[in-house]
Amino acid sequence: MGVMRLGYVHARVTDLEEAKSHYADTLGMRIVHAEDDRLHLKAWDEYDHHSVVLEEGGVGLVKLGYKVQKPEDLSEFERRAQAFGCITERMSKGDNLAVGDGVRIVLPSDHVIELYNEIEVVGTETGTVNPNPFPRHLVGVGVPRIDHALITAEDPGLIERFFAEVLDFGTSERVVTDLDDGEVIGTWMFCGNTPHDIAVIKGPNAKLHHFAFYLNDWNDILRAGDLFAMDDVSVDIGPTRHGITRGTTIYFFDPAGNRNEVFSGGYITYPDFPTINWTTDQLAKGIFYISRELNERFTTVVT
Amino acid sequence: MPSVTVAGVTLPLRPGETILAGLHRAGYAYRIGCRRGGCGVCAAEVTSGEIAYAGPIAERALPPVTDPAAPPCLTCRAVPVTDVVIRLADGARFRCVAPMLAELAGATPRTDEQGEP
Repeated sequence: MGVMRLGYVHARVTDLEEAKSHYADTLGMRIVHAEDDRLHLKAWDEYDHHSVVLEEGGVGLVKLGYKVQKPEDLSEFERRAQAFGCITERMSKGDNLAVGDGVRIVLPSDHVIELYNEIEVVGTETGTVNPNPFPRHLVGVGVPRIDHALITAEDPGLIERFFAEVLDFGTSERVVTDLDDGEVIGTWMFCGNTPHDIAVIKGPNAKLHHFAFYLNDWNDILRAGDLFAMDDVSVDIGPTRHGITRGTTIYFFDPAGNRNEVFSGGYITYPDFPTINWTTDQLAKGIFYISRELNERFTTVVT
Repeated sequence: MPSVTVAGVTLPLRPGETILAGLHRAGYAYRIGCRRGGCGVCAAEVTSGEIAYAGPIAERALPPVTDPAAPPCLTCRAVPVTDVVIRLADGARFRCVAPMLAELAGATPRTDEQGEP
């Protein structure tokens, strides 16, 4: 049993047409389903129906979907979430387009996550028989898949406990005020084999810091940056490297002001991965390894 | 065309230009966030004049109204429709980072009380 990955990010945008241009034309996602007030999109190397849902009206995070391995995992995670003290509710097939029955959990930080096992499978764009390494028709950045989300919470240590105790996530890295029993200021957690499938930093409850798309290497990060300049994308910071996760990165904003990231690199994690700790006096190096200087925008802008 | 006055500097804007775009063109910098009307970091109070918006903003990004005579606006998307005077938030660190651009843009310092932050 277990959570396999971040399956979808559902976010609000102020203008659906502008968002469509950003996610489809600049990032190169495919529109799977379009309605008047929302879009479902997927990236080319993903096989499930969608990984991003954009809903017109406002800005910020609606919910995160995490896909579990087996149908019976849902009731076990539901039981554990309730024991942890979270409000849960059952969601039915069809509540989310193409997604089956599931469990909705309100975290102590007021974020909403949905666990599900069943979602319509539409396949990658290279297929599963003698595939090419990438599709020829990609436009823009051509992101292959979403990677992780970073949310803000008043008590990151509590949310770390939730993901560890309820959902069996491991902690790859952590920022603490003191190595001996200090307060957790930030936590990076995995359910698969990447450095993070969720991360939480100290900040207001219920807010989104960013969600990220994976790219293959540093060259693709630079190329994405060039495309952001061509398309007048508002860039927060980068290209640069993180100390935490070792990833290379550019942070940028969608046309509604939600922060996105293109992320590459990192390392492999396993359930026995020894947690890396950063002390707050080295936070700037942990976040932006090269400049070792925090940017006020990065630390304060959330949607 | 309308002008914007901020912290003692008056700058003539171009047609359709947002306050932020104009100030950047003129070599000024201050604290900004997403530049897309979503976060509210670049908010300012409009102490005089009228603005319109060049694109959508998230209502919840607007700070609360503290002075009905000086409603808040998001400078990344606000386009003045009359001459405006704005007051940036405390800690906005408004500064000139390229005096050459300020001169080219015709930005002029003001000393009267209207232009004071």
